[in-house]
Amino acid sequence: MSAVLTSPPPARAGRFGGLLRAEAHRFLSRRFIRVLLLLTLLGWVATLVICLLGFRTPTAEELATARQTQQEQIQVSNEGREQCLSAGDIPAGVAPEEWCGPVVTEEVMPVSDFLQRPPFSLSGDADDGAVAVAAVGAALAFLLGGTFVGAEWSTRSMVALLFWETRRPRVMAAKLLVTIGAMAVLGSLLQAIWLGVASVLQAVVGDGVAPPGGFWPELLGTQARAVLLTVFAGLLGFGLTNLLRNTGAATGAAFVYLLIVENAVRALRPAWQPWLLTNNAAALVVPDGLTLEWPEQGFDDSGAPTSDVVQYLLGTGQATVYLALVTAVVVGAGVVLFSRRDLH
Amino acid sequence: MPAVEMHAVSKSYRRRGKPPTRALDDLHLVVGTGGVHGFLGPNGSGKTTTIRVLLGLVRADAGDVRLLDRPVPAGLPEVIGSVGALVETPLFFPGFSGRRNLRLLAETAGVPRGRVEEVLELVDLRDRAGERFAGYSLGMKQRLGIAAALLKQPRLLVLDEPSNGLDPAGIKDVRELIRRLGSDGATTVLLSSHLLAEIQQVADSVSIMARGRCIASGPVREVLAGRSTGDVRIRVPDRAAATAVLTAAGFRVSPADDALLVSAVSAPGQLTRVLAEAGHYLEELTPVAADLESAFLALTAEPA
Repeated sequence: MSAVLTSPPPARAGRFGGLLRAEAHRFLSRRFIRVLLLLTLLGWVATLVICLLGFRTPTAEELATARQTQQEQIQVSNEGREQCLSAGDIPAGVAPEEWCGPVVTEEVMPVSDFLQRPPFSLSGDADDGAVAVAAVGAALAFLLGGTFVGAEWSTRSMVALLFWETRRPRVMAAKLLVTIGAMAVLGSLLQAIWLGVASVLQAVVGDGVAPPGGFWPELLGTQARAVLLTVFAGLLGFGLTNLLRNTGAATGAAFVYLLIVENAVRALRPAWQPWLLTNNAAALVVPDGLTLEWPEQGFDDSGAPTSDVVQYLLGTGQATVYLALVTAVVVGAGVVLFSRRDLH
Repeated sequence: MPAVEMHAVSKSYRRRGKPPTRALDDLHLVVGTGGVHGFLGPNGSGKTTTIRVLLGLVRADAGDVRLLDRPVPAGLPEVIGSVGALVETPLFFPGFSGRRNLRLLAETAGVPRGRVEEVLELVDLRDRAGERFAGYSLGMKQRLGIAAALLKQPRLLVLDEPSNGLDPAGIKDVRELIRRLGSDGATTVLLSSHLLAEIQQVADSVSIMARGRCIASGPVREVLAGRSTGDVRIRVPDRAAATAVLTAAGFRVSPADDALLVSAVSAPGQLTRVLAEAGHYLEELTPVAADLESAFLALTAEPA
């Protein structure tokens, strides 16, 4: 029955570059992904409109009135503080600053607090905005990473793809590289848009104050770390969905973790807070990390119960390493299982 | 060099809380190069598992598997560019058009874009290729699956139930396409189907699976000959008298419409002589050939 083979030698599987291009096209062609990106764009337009309506550059008269009220309030507060210090009823072992509060300055009580509609302050608001955009970007990235691989499982295109590229780690590597690239672009775009929006707000409804020295390096640093968080979130979405083979299940698991597990830990085991993903995400983006506090009960030498507040600085470096490890474990487990499982 | 070689291949599926199911049990299967090889078996006989093992989707527990002379799964990347496959339902993105789905696959394999239009033309889908896959009829989906399998200009084409959902005209088209591909001498078509008539019409050779084993394999004619009963159908002017003569001579005779069916005739010439000596001359003598369906049913009904 066998015949002599006369045709050319067997053809090898395609090159990795072709696979990577095809995966990038798959990602960009997905309708759900396009809808999510369109909604994000609409969200930006809405944000700009709300901010334009919420902020206003004050007139010279409004500013003068606000400054006067500010000075009066600062004076009243500091007088009260002085009375507190001179009263002599500060308990033993308690610092005067802790009992009567710190000296009230213009920084503590800014003039914007006394304006009905404060102006936008680039130096004061840009960093907070970048952090907020990072949070939204991370949620979006989780969904995009998840739906990218989830669609492959739900349509079983993942199996069909293996008729064309049988080396499963290569298939997964191509998808992961596309996810990393797409999330980096997404994070960068979101932060660039925020920079643009902040500039528009500063020009139209801003306080007219030039940012202080060191402002731009700090803001750009925050934004760079926000992009890194977007990549981590996208990979976590991808990895979790790849493990569960279902976008809905992965999103549900993420909700359960965020709403139930994290809140339960905060309530029942507050000392475990440094291990929570959201705390690490915040510590990664916020300049100088995140300071966590929780009460700690103990006993002194005489056996009497004591109560103390523990302060824990979750540094940026520590958060980066922790998030990278968690991401690597989740993604790695999915890749190993995909490489070994029978596929039907 | 055979296109497919499987020796002593076993595969069991473990199920939680249940004993493992043995899908392949010491399977030996050899498919030569060129032509159409029919792959038959009842549901659960191990056909699809065999195909999945061949394509590297499922790992065999034991045994030796070779595809186009390369070991599976280790050597699969070296030959996958020459293997086209359509396994069960075609798997495509429902939101993409047929053309876009094929282009993505072509890009993955480094196949030129022009080939996409060629295969769309081949399966008569070019006019509808711009429409979303989700809107395709079952037949159109199947045709797109065949087009995808042909994209790589495969030397081995694995088709699992390619006629599923096709209308009679579509079935005929696919049959002709398979026959054409199988007759070019270079392409081997491994055709898994439950349509026995289809297999009989297009296949040069056949393998029959039952209970995870290959229980018969070879050219269709040989497999059928192995199942031949030796029955002959004869037509004579006087059926009653001829029946009496043949019965007296030791033949087993039964009526069959306007003719007689003589069972287990080892030498038809002897039957002719007996009738002629009694003055009965044959108007017709036709050996009753076993068809694939009866061979299949007989083979798969046997105990393991």
